[in-house]
Amino acid sequence: MSEIMDFRIRWGMVIDLDKCTGCGACMVACQAENNIAPQVDASNKLRSLNWLVVYRLSNGRAFPDHEVAYLPRPCMQCGKPSCVSVCPVIATDKREEGGIVSQIPPRCIGCRYCMASCPYHARYFNWYDPKWPGDLGRALTPDVSTRPRGVVEKCTFCHHRWQKAKDEAIANGRDPWDLPDGAYVTSCAEACPNGAITFGDLKNPKHKVHELSQSPYAFRLLERLGTDPQVYYLSRREWVRRKGDNYLEDEPTAGTRRG
Amino acid sequence: MEERNHSTAPDTAQSCRCCGWGAFVVGLVAALILGWWVLPGLMKEDKKQPVAFNHVLHVQDQGISCEQCHFLRKDGSFSGLPTTASCAECHFEVLGSDPEEALFVRNYVRTGREIRGEWLVYQKQPDNVLFSHAPHLGDLETAASAAELCSRCHLDVSATTTPPVYTENRLSGYSQNTMLMWECEQCHADTRLRDPESHASNACFVCHK
Amino acid sequence: MNRRGFLKFAAGGTVGLAASPVIWNTLYDAVYWTQNWGWIPRLQKGASEYLPTISKVCPSGTGIRVRLVGGRPVRALGNPGNAMSQGALTALAAAETQLQVSPARLKTPLKRSPDGAYVAISWEEAEKMLRDKALEARGAMACISGDPTSSVNEVFTGFMNAMGSDDFYFMPGEELPALKAWSLMGGQGRLGYDIEHSDFVLSIGANFLESWGTVARNRKAFSAGRPAGQKPALKVAYAGPVQNNTAAGADWWLPIRPDTEMALALGVAHLVIKKGKAPFRIGLPAFAALAERYDPATVAKLTGVDAARLEAVVDALLEAQKPLVITGSPLGAGGAAGPIMAAIAINILLDRVGKEGNLVDLSFPSPVVNGATHIRSLLARDLVAWTQAVAAGKAPAPKMLMIYDANPLYALPAGSGMAEVLDRTPFTVALASFMSETCARCDLVLPAAMGLERFDDACTPYGSGQFSYSIAAPVVEPFYEARPAGELIIALAQELGVDLGVEDMPQLLHKKALSMGADFRALTESGGVFTDDAQRSPVVPLFNTAALQAAITTPAGSSDASVRLAPVLVLGMGTPQTAIPPFATKIIADYQLKGMDSVAQMNSATAAKLGVRQGERVKLQSAAATVTVLVDLFEGVQTDTVALCAGLGHTAFDEFSRGKGINITTLTSVSREPGTGLSVWGGAELARA
Repeated sequence: MSEIMDFRIRWGMVIDLDKCTGCGACMVACQAENNIAPQVDASNKLRSLNWLVVYRLSNGRAFPDHEVAYLPRPCMQCGKPSCVSVCPVIATDKREEGGIVSQIPPRCIGCRYCMASCPYHARYFNWYDPKWPGDLGRALTPDVSTRPRGVVEKCTFCHHRWQKAKDEAIANGRDPWDLPDGAYVTSCAEACPNGAITFGDLKNPKHKVHELSQSPYAFRLLERLGTDPQVYYLSRREWVRRKGDNYLEDEPTAGTRRG
Repeated sequence: MEERNHSTAPDTAQSCRCCGWGAFVVGLVAALILGWWVLPGLMKEDKKQPVAFNHVLHVQDQGISCEQCHFLRKDGSFSGLPTTASCAECHFEVLGSDPEEALFVRNYVRTGREIRGEWLVYQKQPDNVLFSHAPHLGDLETAASAAELCSRCHLDVSATTTPPVYTENRLSGYSQNTMLMWECEQCHADTRLRDPESHASNACFVCHK
Repeated sequence: MNRRGFLKFAAGGTVGLAASPVIWNTLYDAVYWTQNWGWIPRLQKGASEYLPTISKVCPSGTGIRVRLVGGRPVRALGNPGNAMSQGALTALAAAETQLQVSPARLKTPLKRSPDGAYVAISWEEAEKMLRDKALEARGAMACISGDPTSSVNEVFTGFMNAMGSDDFYFMPGEELPALKAWSLMGGQGRLGYDIEHSDFVLSIGANFLESWGTVARNRKAFSAGRPAGQKPALKVAYAGPVQNNTAAGADWWLPIRPDTEMALALGVAHLVIKKGKAPFRIGLPAFAALAERYDPATVAKLTGVDAARLEAVVDALLEAQKPLVITGSPLGAGGAAGPIMAAIAINILLDRVGKEGNLVDLSFPSPVVNGATHIRSLLARDLVAWTQAVAAGKAPAPKMLMIYDANPLYALPAGSGMAEVLDRTPFTVALASFMSETCARCDLVLPAAMGLERFDDACTPYGSGQFSYSIAAPVVEPFYEARPAGELIIALAQELGVDLGVEDMPQLLHKKALSMGADFRALTESGGVFTDDAQRSPVVPLFNTAALQAAITTPAGSSDASVRLAPVLVLGMGTPQTAIPPFATKIIADYQLKGMDSVAQMNSATAAKLGVRQGERVKLQSAAATVTVLVDLFEGVQTDTVALCAGLGHTAFDEFSRGKGINITTLTSVSREPGTGLSVWGGAELARA
């Protein structure tokens, strides 16, 4: 896959890092929505499985000039996904309208090439079988299939919610391919009490994300790798924007340049 | 050595030469019988539905339309099988003389047991399949009738007095009526060929979750 | 048949099988079979429905919509129809449906046998035991409740008062010192915060974007005041020893030393007066004289906050149209009234009290249960003062102690005397949803229905800016044999011939709603909030300099070898009643908990002083306890300060909580605030052991 994949609809997120305070409500909502099993010890972050992770950023200065910011990281749904080109069994693909990179766990053989190729560490391997001790399994939703040990999974922008939004539009005689802003939102965006995550069609001027993604403060992670992510970040703080890529010492920060 | 020489005596070899192709044919026929009729039968298991639901009685005699039980909900999901509660809207007590009805009222309505969870679904798909009825019902304009549209994928049960036999594959655990992936793909591909603007693509996430 | 014949037969058979579909079909079926992962749970389908209610595990009663599939609750979603939380969720409320089926849930009544083991008993036996013991105890009954917003407290106090006991206490929270401070400063009712109309919030120690007050509402206000990608309309300054979640959302961080909130507040007052903003009010000269002593240089010495930074914040505060100053305690309990009085004084100086976007005076609801104690008097009671008195033998130990929706054994600090109270009470009964540390010490443990399973309510949670009332209606049957605690006590009262005037909880809530002019049905159907601005009284605040002065303590510094503890509260880690929800283990960062060890965050200067390195396991001791923690270097902590997360170190509950990290309340000890006499805790001096 050498071309950037483009579609009429481009589902995307704009995450305002100045609004995120790192509470983790998005991560809880993500786990509950996508049937991600709880883990007794999740403090080893290399072995814990999360489609969405909130990272703490530091401006690197010593006390008292230190500053923090939090950065939620879903799958970037890259326009040119490096994971897709390396998958030997087409378990992951980007072919559908909307531009969401699909991941089909039953098709995955667990080789983890995609994990090695993803520059965002957005992919997770099931090192263990999922366990819902006691009656916890009763709270599983019917929307996302459970995955066994040995396969890779990742954020899907709650793709089933899009399917539902389309079905609902059909049932009510509306056009499923022209959803109004907010008809389809991811679980994390819906749960964020700070309204830090905005979700919608980046190409649709009627959707809030369209305007936000063009903000002078908008940037994407590791933009210069050419992956063309569908997730944008916003920050008025230059040091935060600077964390988004590997800059040379006197190189201007993206966002600042445009703004 | 003695034994071996004895067993390959020329006279027996002679007789074998004439019936040689016979053994092949016997083997071939036996295998064909086995492979076409016996083994496939052993691979399957017939199961009975928990209640012998009579569609004729409900549809023709009582004039209940299909959509009263099988309908698209307002949220776009499809109500395939009615719940015990919705059956009990009429069958809160035994209404007729059918012993199956009495059985249903006694075992499900009175106890509150959920019939939905026990009913054997002829088109049961695995967990990782996301099938939405909503986009497929759009084909209603091209179909002769709703029954014709539904029976493109489902068994037409509207004229049956007892449910069809449910045949389960012992190995895979799915009904023999379950549509396989290639069948879904075929129809999606054909639709796309007919109408390139159609959204019936064969991208993975169109049908998987 | 000879060998050759057999081979031909076999060849025929092979060709025949190959020409039949059986091999190919079997292969195809085998492919499907490999996808049947029978050892992991399968999905259950069903119709979706969305029922509104409020979260009772979240202390501020966040409004939720519960998604049920085929009658099973699967998700707790935000409820935009709830005017308080406006569709926002907290990390705790988001986990409520999973908590409802969590392994720590109590399933049946449990009785402690003489050897200490718990045996399951029937409800009949449990109720009989409760009845017999209540009759035995009569006037010597006591109760601790962990839910100050619920009307179920009226059931408890109505019943206990009829039996002749008055020892009813709430678990300590932010409201106890706030009530004290507010009444000393001229308030009539309870202290409310009109955050959504403010344009500048200076928070001194209040973690209001994470755990303080009506969190979901606070954060919704924060969200509205800071539209994505635009210039913020709401500015935030946070003063606290650690860059916590609130600091992450703030425009300014004032890194104060632990327990120096009062000094900082007076320093802010000093600058406000100096910059000539203060209007004349009775008592101003005396207050100004007090504040005079807190010039920026002195404040810098006391709190560690750079004078220039403090001035910048005060300038921004004075520039704002509708500024608001709030305070809170690091643990959410055990805070002093002094800093709150000082914050109120700043708000008076800014001439904003009672105005839009500032402090408001809210009234208390009246009880509807016969003989119930008024909430105002309950909120003013100091549980720790009582437990300490009982432990010291100065107050009689009760004969029966009921503990409802509370985990005092875990949440109260060392020296609170709680363990002694449990030891001295001949019969202790816990009404709880989860197997907590306190349950594990009680004689009888009764499984209480959770908020999703019962009728309950929430009236004006602390931090609210309006008199508010919302109702929790059950969305699912109780878990196993759990029962609503309110119904249980009403039934007990009836059997003992006490007339509470209510038959059951729905009737109580109906009456309650009616008493304030709310509509029970509308509230249960929408999950909405009834608010009444007429319940806001005009307030004439005053500078009570004498009370303020009396509450001033010399901030306990640190010696050459010691550092101060700075507790960090994260709502996602649950409350003492719930412990860590199963889904929360993943949101706990490895700079909070690693493996089974709590992680102590400190800046490099502190680490150098203690002689520790990144990742090192060290023993720290306070006057009360010694703990082992891992060191993590983080520059967002004030020097000579060690930040440790609260909410860890559980010894009961389930595998998601048990044995993880240390309980920091064991490090702190109780002292009395001079002047007000309130029990305060939360700070500690730590040294390497």
